Amino acid sequence: MENRTLAPEKEHSGLADAIDRILDKGLVINADIIVSVAGVELLGIKIRAALASFETAAKYGLEFPSGTNLETTAWKNAVIDKEDCPQCGKQVNRDELLNSACPWCGWESARAKKKNTIKVGAKVEVRS
Amino acid sequence: MVTLKPEEAGLSRLLDIILDKGVIIDANTKVNLKDLELLGTKARIALASFEMAQKVGLIFPENTNLNTQSWRDLVTKRSCPACGMESTHTELSEGCPWCGFSYIQSER
Repeated sequence: MENRTLAPEKEHSGLADAIDRILDKGLVINADIIVSVAGVELLGIKIRAALASFETAAKYGLEFPSGTNLETTAWKNAVIDKEDCPQCGKQVNRDELLNSACPWCGWESARAKKKNTIKVGAKVEVRS
Repeated sequence: MVTLKPEEAGLSRLLDIILDKGVIIDANTKVNLKDLELLGTKARIALASFEMAQKVGLIFPENTNLNTQSWRDLVTKRSCPACGMESTHTELSEGCPWCGFSYIQSER
């Protein structure tokens, strides 16, 4: 079978990729800052911030602003464990990708291949 | 051995290091005028990815739900030394489900 690349080549050095990583991995910014004037502690700043994409935020249970409807299908899909297909790069349900094959390009994991060889072996036995 | 996630260079690699290792900025500044302390700042700043933040115990914003599957995955999942894809420790010890890599010890 011809080995086609389905996803466009991802650039790995650009700013877009950098932002993509930050949003995907999430960023925690915690800061305690004290400003003192003439020896007197005047201003205190305490920051507990988390920066992430909607999907990552939903996965890690960050609180959303009040009034956000969390019952939509997009939210339910966001929480499902997904993985990028190593061959075509498309996001696929992790279980499906590991246990059967990538529905986009047909890539098979080592586990799926092992399962298939066992099945083939069983068929051969029946025929003989 | 098949490499499923190749090493990258440049800005994204740098960012990966910063996110994965975390950054601590611990800075005290003082502005003096003739022995009189005019202005001083004390800053303790921590920057890290969610994964690292969880490992080193940084506090997350209030009302963060720390009982989701993703938090549990951070503790149980390891990346395969050969292909870099993540799977749980038990899955890995039986051979990486992604690329088939197995530790010498488990082959015995």
